[in-house]
Amino acid sequence: MSSEPIERRVAYIGDRLRGCRCPLCGKEYFNLRDYCGRCGEKSFGKMEEIDLFYEKGTLEVCTLITEPTNKFKKIGRFIYGIVSFHNGKIRLPGRLTDRIIGENDEIDFSSLEGREVVPRFRRRYAVKRSEIIPTISLTFTFADEYYPYQEYKIAKPNKDYDTPGIVGYGVYVSKFRIKEAFMERAVPFIDEDAITAAVEAGKLALIHSSVDHKLIGKIYVGSESNPYAVKPIASKVAQVLKLGEDAAEGVQGVDAVDTEFACKAATSMFKDAVSLVYYPKSNVEYAMVIGADNSQAAPRGEPGGELDFFVGYGACTFIFGMKDVIAEIEGWYSVTSDTPDFWRRDREPYPRHGGRFTGDPAYFKHIKKAAKKLMDEFRLQPQDIDYFVSHQPNINFPTKVAKSLGFREEQFLPSLKVAKFGNTYSGASPIGLAAVLDKAEPHQRILLVSYGSGAGSDAYLFTTTSQIKDKRQKQKFTVEYQAENPFLEYVDYATYRKLKRGLEA
Amino acid sequence: MSKKSCPAIIGAGRTKFGEHYEKEPEKLIEEAGLNALRSVGIERKDLEACYISDYFLPLTNKIGLEEGFLSELLELHIPMEIARSFSSAFVSACNAILAGKYNLVLVGGVEKMTDRWDKIRDDLMMLEDPWSYYAGGTPEANHELMLREYIKSYDIHGGDLEKLQLALAHISVKNHANALKNEYAQYRRSITVEQVLKARKAVKKMLGLYDFAPISDGAAAIILASSELAESYTDKPIYVLASGSATDYITFPFREDRAGFLATRLAMENAIKMAEIEKKNIRLLEVYDQSTVVELISLEDLGFVERGTAWKHLYENFQDFKGYYELNGQEIFVNLNGGLKADGNPLGATGGAQIYEIFKQLRGEAGERQVKIDDSCLGCALELEGFGTKAYVHIFGGDAA
Repeated sequence: MSSEPIERRVAYIGDRLRGCRCPLCGKEYFNLRDYCGRCGEKSFGKMEEIDLFYEKGTLEVCTLITEPTNKFKKIGRFIYGIVSFHNGKIRLPGRLTDRIIGENDEIDFSSLEGREVVPRFRRRYAVKRSEIIPTISLTFTFADEYYPYQEYKIAKPNKDYDTPGIVGYGVYVSKFRIKEAFMERAVPFIDEDAITAAVEAGKLALIHSSVDHKLIGKIYVGSESNPYAVKPIASKVAQVLKLGEDAAEGVQGVDAVDTEFACKAATSMFKDAVSLVYYPKSNVEYAMVIGADNSQAAPRGEPGGELDFFVGYGACTFIFGMKDVIAEIEGWYSVTSDTPDFWRRDREPYPRHGGRFTGDPAYFKHIKKAAKKLMDEFRLQPQDIDYFVSHQPNINFPTKVAKSLGFREEQFLPSLKVAKFGNTYSGASPIGLAAVLDKAEPHQRILLVSYGSGAGSDAYLFTTTSQIKDKRQKQKFTVEYQAENPFLEYVDYATYRKLKRGLEA
Repeated sequence: MSKKSCPAIIGAGRTKFGEHYEKEPEKLIEEAGLNALRSVGIERKDLEACYISDYFLPLTNKIGLEEGFLSELLELHIPMEIARSFSSAFVSACNAILAGKYNLVLVGGVEKMTDRWDKIRDDLMMLEDPWSYYAGGTPEANHELMLREYIKSYDIHGGDLEKLQLALAHISVKNHANALKNEYAQYRRSITVEQVLKARKAVKKMLGLYDFAPISDGAAAIILASSELAESYTDKPIYVLASGSATDYITFPFREDRAGFLATRLAMENAIKMAEIEKKNIRLLEVYDQSTVVELISLEDLGFVERGTAWKHLYENFQDFKGYYELNGQEIFVNLNGGLKADGNPLGATGGAQIYEIFKQLRGEAGERQVKIDDSCLGCALELEGFGTKAYVHIFGGDAA
């Protein structure tokens, strides 16, 4: 389908699973309506909006789709059925995602029916590369598998801070992995991309922060693998997560923008986000920054194919504000130079890699420069810092740069997740930071230094607060949980390439 | 309603169902229409109006103004109307005759699905149930889910579940056997229970290739007349004693009851009320077996057996099948033309083939397929649109009925 109005209407309802409830009789409906069919005229204008985006449903009945319609062919075989919510008050059609079903697999439907499911935000089906990308949340996974059911409970903040900082975060890494030599890398399922990861990570950050989505005044999404050359990921995130006030007519009162600077597209905006929430006249209480990438690499043996050993998939979201802060931002220092170490020309599917530029004149020079400048500014020695986080394109580089800056293993290893997830590009150093925040004690110092090819680094100094421990219990889907999970599914190289290509017709 | 005021069918014609590679849709309906006119010796110039149905010719063949094509072919300038299903066109035609507006009309239906072979399942599903389509549903999936709902609702398991599955397989076998004698049927070959089960096993599901009706091209037409006029053309008019219809939600999962079709139950209630007949006099039944599941469940929805028990009745019937179902003492011939499964299912024409069959049987003109019934017997046709989104039930009888 390439009809833009139809696409807008289907996605508006389907992405968020919007519905409504009659306050008079309690009947619930999928989709928005002006009145209740049972109560008629007296319910007109009284319908309450609901949505099922954070809810848990039950798979009522299901079947196996062996011969999908054309648009679903790329997904292969899948389980499809009817999902009920609110004790059967609402029933929806749904597809179970994240399952690779072989031709010889026997499915016992009765063993799946009755189990609890949670909605996932995914691509709907395959379309041509020129078309609008259809998305939907009528895709589900079992609540007792990789993605746990988590309630989103908005809470009133307790404490104001003088210094802005992180109030919540979320990490989203897919359940599929490829394991080669020393590295495990996250592989998207075929219906995932940078957009779907951004939305899922944003959702997780809202759950962790307990921040009211209506109070997010700005959303930045940093990515280098947006499937659109023109059309922001941030607008999809804002719409699906209902960021900012509801400005009626399907419009959110929020500013949304995408940024691009290779792997530092997200970290670059941390300072903009905190400045914005600090500025008294901005009217922005909270700002959200997401780094999301379905990191691209040419097949092995082709130009740029060296990257194929390292690329991962994932997203990380931080919400910045001045209330209930878990880590204050003490300061920052950024460096930039025009170093062409890695690039992707418009209309090229895969990035290229400038061999000898990649190491010393690029990654190491910029990270070291930014780190030293910031440490000097705050008169800090390596031993004054509890955790060091750097961009992690592989295992060697971050280890080497940390050591050369004088950090010991206990300072930098907790953040080193590239061997579990692969290089998640814009999400890479943010996921490292999240891994540290998952563990850090109150009043600890964290130095984060990102690196983006092209080239530049952002160094940030964080100090955790006493609230870091209080909020921890609100997030089950931690970095550790995603790295070590019994439901991880390992795929071979051919499957990995196929999944990564995604739903392109 | 007194029979003397009912519209009467006086002629019927159809084409073979299947793939008509060489023929345009308008040629198919012309063929069916001329067959119908010839069957009663009427000139096309005698027609006062045409009611035509096709489910989605504008989509499959990019034909929008169907009436214009017919006008050109038949050189007629009479009023023509378009409906989505044969039954819908048929009801409109009956109503016009009842209102005294016309005395002689043609009702025709046509579909040309094979011209859009590569995209037809997407189209069908998108039209049938868009939200289910967006979620990954297929035309077959709704039938499979309805079967799962049925099994769960009536707690059918173990040996009973096997009996249900066998009963469904026998439905397909029976319909293929019936089609052997139907010169117009798409599939004129017998199949075995083993073949049906093997096809299910191949896809590792409860329903397989032989449980579903095919994609078809074809056309059907009937000539309707007011009762006064009918007698001047034939001494064996078949009266339309009643037509009932009902509508249900487009989205299957939203429906309260998913182990059957509410629309079928309501349409039957309406029809029975209107016809003032005894249901037990119905001996001929054409149901809309898009799948074997729908044939089975329709017997419940139409009230011939208790809900949740059709599988048991049919399983027993098929132990020693006599050509008809014996349901609570009532002997009913179901889908004598082979049903949608074997006769074919060219959507807009399918209802026409159902009525054609009942017309022929009630007049004793069904040739090789003719079953023994007495003059007081009634025929009943159930046509659906979409997946039980609309249901039409018509009840027919001859002079003595």
